[in-house]
Amino acid sequence: MNAESKTVLITGGDGYLGSSLAASYLESTDASLILWLRAGGAEEFENKKSALQRRFAGHASRLSYAAGDLLDDEPFRALDPRGIGGIIHAAAVTRFNVDETTARAVNLEGACKLFRFATGCPSLEAFGLLSTVYASGLAPGAIAEAPLDDGHGFSNFYEWSKWASEAALLKHFGDLPWRIFRVATIIADDERGTVRQQNAFHNTLKLLYYGLLSVMPGLPETPLYLLSGEFVSRAIFALMRRPSNRVIYHVCHKREEALPLRDLVDIAFEVFSQSEDFRLRRILKPLYADLGSFELLADGVEKFSGAVVSQAVASVAPFARQLFIDKDLKNTNLTAALGRYPDPELRRLAAETCRRLVESRWKPHGHDAR
Amino acid sequence: MRTSEILVDHFSVALGESTFTVDDAARAGKTVSSPATLKESGFRLHHVCGAGTTSYDLAYRAVNEIRGALGDIGAVVYATCIPANGNVGEEKKFRDTGDVKHLMNFPASRLQSAFAMERAVVIGLNQQACTGMLGSLRLARMMLTEEPEVGRVLCLTADRFPEGALYEQSYNLVSDGAAACVVSRGPGGFRLLACHGITNGALAVASDDEVVGSYFSYTYRVVQETLAKASLAIGEIDWIVPQNTNIKAWQILARLLKFDFARVAMPTLGDVGHMISGDNIANLKRLMEEKKIRPGERVLLVTAGYGLNWQCAILESAAENG
Ligand SMILES: NC(=O)c1ccc[n+]([C@@H]2O[C@H](COP(=O)([O-])OP(=O)(O)OC[C@H]3O[C@@H](n4cnc5c(N)ncnc54)[C@H](OP(=O)(O)O)[C@@H]3O)[C@@H](O)[C@H]2O)c1
Repeated sequence: MNAESKTVLITGGDGYLGSSLAASYLESTDASLILWLRAGGAEEFENKKSALQRRFAGHASRLSYAAGDLLDDEPFRALDPRGIGGIIHAAAVTRFNVDETTARAVNLEGACKLFRFATGCPSLEAFGLLSTVYASGLAPGAIAEAPLDDGHGFSNFYEWSKWASEAALLKHFGDLPWRIFRVATIIADDERGTVRQQNAFHNTLKLLYYGLLSVMPGLPETPLYLLSGEFVSRAIFALMRRPSNRVIYHVCHKREEALPLRDLVDIAFEVFSQSEDFRLRRILKPLYADLGSFELLADGVEKFSGAVVSQAVASVAPFARQLFIDKDLKNTNLTAALGRYPDPELRRLAAETCRRLVESRWKPHGHDAR
Repeated sequence: MRTSEILVDHFSVALGESTFTVDDAARAGKTVSSPATLKESGFRLHHVCGAGTTSYDLAYRAVNEIRGALGDIGAVVYATCIPANGNVGEEKKFRDTGDVKHLMNFPASRLQSAFAMERAVVIGLNQQACTGMLGSLRLARMMLTEEPEVGRVLCLTADRFPEGALYEQSYNLVSDGAAACVVSRGPGGFRLLACHGITNGALAVASDDEVVGSYFSYTYRVVQETLAKASLAIGEIDWIVPQNTNIKAWQILARLLKFDFARVAMPTLGDVGHMISGDNIANLKRLMEEKKIRPGERVLLVTAGYGLNWQCAILESAAENG
């Protein structure tokens, strides 16, 4: 979006990517922003707002805030559509173990409410839908930056709901100036490995470090598409400002740059071994289990283990199936738009992330707004 | 029979004299998991010693059962899981008198005398927990290989839990019991092809979660390393006879090891429970009674225990068994 005098609306404005993108706009443009936040009531809204105000002190005049919930009937009713030139939809339930009803209500129907609102924004030049490379579900092989089908099924309702929101946008709101960003897994904020927000990736590393996960679902050679948050927000910020609409971008590296699961485990154990505490415990690398074995474990683990191991296995289970799928994600549109992106150096990113996680013993580094 | 062959034979088991169901155990407050969970794991009954029965009494009964086959025993390896079971003296007498001899009334010596094993040296093995019996096979093998004057070794494990103890450990329903066998240069029985063990002392005070967390990877490793010692592949093993533990854990391990789960044998899981370090012997004995093992078949025994210890042995049924 290049009409920077107009306002950009960011949903999930206090989320990990929503707030990073807000920072990019504040630092690099003169645009005004509306940060739309999920808040159950006035108090929660005030708390979220003041955390963001502290984070973005110095930009107060360009920021306004709105509250709502994608579960509301008309969550955007309070917003004035007239000055809005860009919308980034970064609000979503991002838990892999989200139930079907919630995933449908928030990530699909909630997104549709925003699409509908967007159709009423007369000056809208760019609508960015944040999606995931896992909207491709369990499809193996080449995945183009093109509409997806649901033929291979999904590993969890999160993936399904992200696919469904893309499909709804393309089918029912195709006239919007949309662009879809299918983002890979963010493992750190930046190349130094700082981790502000932890997800299933970090939790799995934690289980390995503490010796609670001796069976890893997946094939050692499955490529993992990992990224820093900095890379993602820079890319999306740049792509939102391009004039071309109705483009799908895979915000990820190419297959040959991705990190095989085995290499990630090796790197993690190498870094963990630098900690005496870990070395002394002589934790073995996990065994790679086929899906059937892992499902047996997930199914029966609470019968022969305590709550910690049960929760550990349960936290890995919702994405276990992905660790068997060899995806060849194409990023032609991304590279054509951005030119050469920074060298992936995924090994270094993974190692630094592991190092920081060990140092902090998995306590997140924090901005107060997340 | 080759002269260097070491064979294991004459298996016996003795159990605590009172038998209780899982529900009885739960009602008596002896378990942690729910009865339904323990039943789903495959446990049905467990056996507990009466108030006056010591672990030595169990040991005596187990050895008495094979007394006719003892022969000229050159060594007794007497394993206990609970170190206190390595003393039959009264701790109270020590407290009353301050004389530590009451802490050194060794059951192995008593046994040696009771069965007139006059040439036998006795060795107490009390820091390998549930893996003690497999550890004793390893020691027996070393002695038989190194010391020509030792021709037969009695391996024995005996434990009863102290009064007031829970009878559930790491999600297993425990039984008081003893098991014994004779390791010798033959003839007859099972050739002892390899013995191996791993200790991870850093996990000596592991939580139940850490025990389970390390269970799969270390059990897998001890099996692989034992196979390598025997120059065998998993495909050359006919039976895996583990300790009595949750059946599902072995469904998973069998898949990880690429071994047919139908040939993982825990035939005493339901009616014996986890008899501390005697499970492998109880299961092997039952398989033999049921004539399941054919001559030439190879059996892998494997057990995990506190310490943390993992031990494994590979046996091959001698033709004479057929
Ligand atoms: N981070 C990644 O690795 C990654 C990778 C691929 C794709 N993505 C996609 O990127 C987008 C943003 O992800 P993120 O990592 O920034 O996630 P995040 O930090 O979890 O942020 C999600 C935001 O959505 C809000 N939200 C949740 N439920 C809502 C509801 N019912 N109504 C309104 N807002 C709601 C959250 O508010 P509360 O916190 O108050 O609930 C939060 O502000 C998502 O679409 C995600 O699928 C992220």
